[in-house]
Amino acid sequence: MRKPLKIETKKDTFDVTVPGQKHEIGHLHPLTLVKRKIEEIFQAMGFSVIEGFEVENEWYNFDALNIPKDHPARDMWDTFYLKNGKLLRTHTSPVQIRYMEKHQPPFRIIVPGRIFRHEATDASHETNFYQIEGLMVGKDISAANFKAIIQEFLSRFFAKQIKTRLRPSFFPFTEPSFEVDMTCLVCNGKGCSTCSRTGWIELMGAGMVHPNVLKAGGINPKNWQGFAFGIGMDRLAMMKYKINDVRLFYSSDLRFLEQF
Amino acid sequence: MVFSYNWLKQYVKLPKPEKLAQVLTMHSFEVEEIKKVGKDYVLDIDVLPNRGHDCLSHWGVAREISAILDRDLEPLKRKRLKKEKGEIGLINLKIKCPKLVPRYSAIVVEGVKVGPSPKWLKEKIESVGLRSINNIVDLTNYVMLEIGQPLHAFDYDKIQGHQMILRESKNGERLVTLDDSSHTLDKGMLVIEDKNRLIDLVGIMGGKLTEIDLKTKNIVLQAGNFDRQTIYKAVKKLNHRTEASNIYSQGIDPNLTISTLERTYFLLTKLGEGKIVQIIDFYPKKVQPKKIKLDLNYVEKLLGIKIPGKEVKRILERLGLKIKNCKLKILNVVVPTFRLDISLQEDLIEEIGRIYGYEKIPSTFPVVSLIPPRRNFGIFWEDATKNILKELGFTEVYNYSFIGEKEAKIFGYEGKGIIEVENPMSKEQRYLRPNLIPNLLKNVVDNFRYFDEIKIFELGKIFRGQEKQMLSGLIAQKKGGDEFYRLKGVVDSLLNKLGISDIWYDEHKATPEQSKIFIWQSGKIAEIKIGNEEIGFLGEISSKILKNGKAIVFDIDFEELTKICSEEHEYQPISQYPAAVRDLAILVPTDIKVVDVLNKINIAGGVLIRDVDLFDIYEGESIAQGKKNLAFHIVYQAENRTLKSKEIDAIQNKIIKTLEKKPDWEVRR
Repeated sequence: MRKPLKIETKKDTFDVTVPGQKHEIGHLHPLTLVKRKIEEIFQAMGFSVIEGFEVENEWYNFDALNIPKDHPARDMWDTFYLKNGKLLRTHTSPVQIRYMEKHQPPFRIIVPGRIFRHEATDASHETNFYQIEGLMVGKDISAANFKAIIQEFLSRFFAKQIKTRLRPSFFPFTEPSFEVDMTCLVCNGKGCSTCSRTGWIELMGAGMVHPNVLKAGGINPKNWQGFAFGIGMDRLAMMKYKINDVRLFYSSDLRFLEQF
Repeated sequence: MVFSYNWLKQYVKLPKPEKLAQVLTMHSFEVEEIKKVGKDYVLDIDVLPNRGHDCLSHWGVAREISAILDRDLEPLKRKRLKKEKGEIGLINLKIKCPKLVPRYSAIVVEGVKVGPSPKWLKEKIESVGLRSINNIVDLTNYVMLEIGQPLHAFDYDKIQGHQMILRESKNGERLVTLDDSSHTLDKGMLVIEDKNRLIDLVGIMGGKLTEIDLKTKNIVLQAGNFDRQTIYKAVKKLNHRTEASNIYSQGIDPNLTISTLERTYFLLTKLGEGKIVQIIDFYPKKVQPKKIKLDLNYVEKLLGIKIPGKEVKRILERLGLKIKNCKLKILNVVVPTFRLDISLQEDLIEEIGRIYGYEKIPSTFPVVSLIPPRRNFGIFWEDATKNILKELGFTEVYNYSFIGEKEAKIFGYEGKGIIEVENPMSKEQRYLRPNLIPNLLKNVVDNFRYFDEIKIFELGKIFRGQEKQMLSGLIAQKKGGDEFYRLKGVVDSLLNKLGISDIWYDEHKATPEQSKIFIWQSGKIAEIKIGNEEIGFLGEISSKILKNGKAIVFDIDFEELTKICSEEHEYQPISQYPAAVRDLAILVPTDIKVVDVLNKINIAGGVLIRDVDLFDIYEGESIAQGKKNLAFHIVYQAENRTLKSKEIDAIQNKIIKTLEKKPDWEVRR
């Protein structure tokens, strides 16, 4: 912050080009801005915002989510374990179970929060980052409903019409499972270096909530069904602000933060 | 896994490589890369983790393609295993841990000629990036890559005592595998022992001792099925991954072993080699196909699209599933044992959905009752707090949730409820942060390279026994003036804006325990209190911790704070009568606290005092040693009348008298 400009002129001279006085204002973190935007859009569609614990146990982080012990599937999540026997949650999905335990459907929630992965860091990987979990359960909530909700969210978030496509994927806690791609923002789907010439950007994992997960949450899968998804918030922020290195978010470099 | 285009082409008619990659990506697995190699194309296909048991194989992927494109799948040619009379003695197999071996099948083949592979086999092996070794080894690899059932060939004559004992390993046993690497085993891994030595690290890699070489004449060809978890744990422990161990770790169909040996035998006779002299098949508990009732209405309800029953049947049959006596809307589906991943209706719906094409599912907004979202007060106050601090000129930072060994030591957190990470990435991330301050101070040092003054805050979780949300912030200056009162004003404004009024600051009396920790500059620390509740600290960081520069820090228990925050606010009527301001300056000893003076003024002044405002503190020239001058604006105002000058004078005098009762206090006139 520079010192305020000192102006001492003898006569009553007036110069419109003299810079205005600088006022000291602070800055919110770009991830805070993105989180608020996401919450605003989902709240407008009737989703409640729920939070959970960052330190979790194996049951909520894995077993209740239908991720079996001693199975390669568990290796999809590189985990920080703690000496007290707990772990740092590797996704916001444990909150699905914690929420279902206390609420009866129908409901729709999103869960923003910090998650952790035991991975070497580089421009696109961090040891802690943010995820937004979504969960909607009702009598007949379908994959077609998911498509509509997520497309609406993305179009509002990026303030332009976004196309999405679902590809087959595997997550133990959803069945069917989808990988969700959206049209590349750089080339609008024509194909460029950002999207490896495919015209599509891989965005998130999603699917229809697995009956075992509903059961683990105390909900009868015969009566209820729904979708769940998890989006990387850092990635959305990087796309929105054209940031090319995720580590900047956690650098606390004021030269970066003061741009927001 | 990499797949050869020409190899796949043997089983099903293929579109062009790019088109094939596209349909596989949209319906089965992502194709990460297509490379042209000679006359062939190599596709790098990212087989999903739940499909390793049937699709880490060319035949398996060909079946996917046949389902997606509705094209016929060429059946594999096999030859029935038939025992002939031979010269060599029988292998004596003992399985000591039958629970860990769902099935063990093997054939002993007499009279093979080991040599270079024929051209077709060599080409196939090399097309997927493997090195051709000899006809027998290449054949086992070929069949594994074709069907997905790992095979292993032992040199019969190198097995001592014609004896094979399949058992769990003991602690410290050693074994050298085919790749010449030596392993020291833990208890509970699967091994095969001959009369004297370990000869196979089961499910992972064969042993060096019974390796096939150019002199090999007789072989034992093994197709086993082993406990998934046992193999997986061994692989992790030994950190020794192989194509076979990848398959076994995910589990595989026990009904594959014999049909795989039949296929191998067919190909072996095509090479013109050997005869079977012994067939081993240990299979105590036969696995049967699963039966699932599929409700077509549920298919539509879950996917949100109506797929014709005929189409559903076609898809499932192309995938190798069978449909029996279907009623109107209910299909009885028989799932072959090679699809371990399908056990529920939902699993079938995934198969139908993806082969039919997710792109055909429309976007339809759900029809639901209008239940408004619940308000999240935690987030509401978070947002409010961040906005206020931003308006007060502070920038928000996000730091890592970890601190290092160094910080833990300096801040004296070691051994005090601090949570240690079992597998930290580095020494710098050994503990979960028990406080936000260490990382904020790191930010100060980093940013001092570009800025002289830093005003930052963070709202985040700390971990001490339990996790807790904290709010910390600081003003730091390279060449430090005293910013304590400035930050105190920030805390006041913040709390006021959050609807809290009874804020006060208490001297911090450190316990002897705490005073060993040098984080605060001695004496310059206050407890922030609301009513009787302590909600945080405000203080200067010790110069021992922050060496160049000064930092004043606040550290507030945000969870406690949000319990007190309030949106309620009541309007105070504006008095219709004018206010009058009188100034008062007083000399007091330097150790007297401002609050003591303020209290006396307020008590003496009574209800007619609207506000007392300290506007100057002065020590130094023209003032006696050991004294300081405090100057106040006192604002007088009544609710119901205009105060007369005389009336005000009387109160002012009363205040002065009260103050001067203290012998060393002197009101300046």
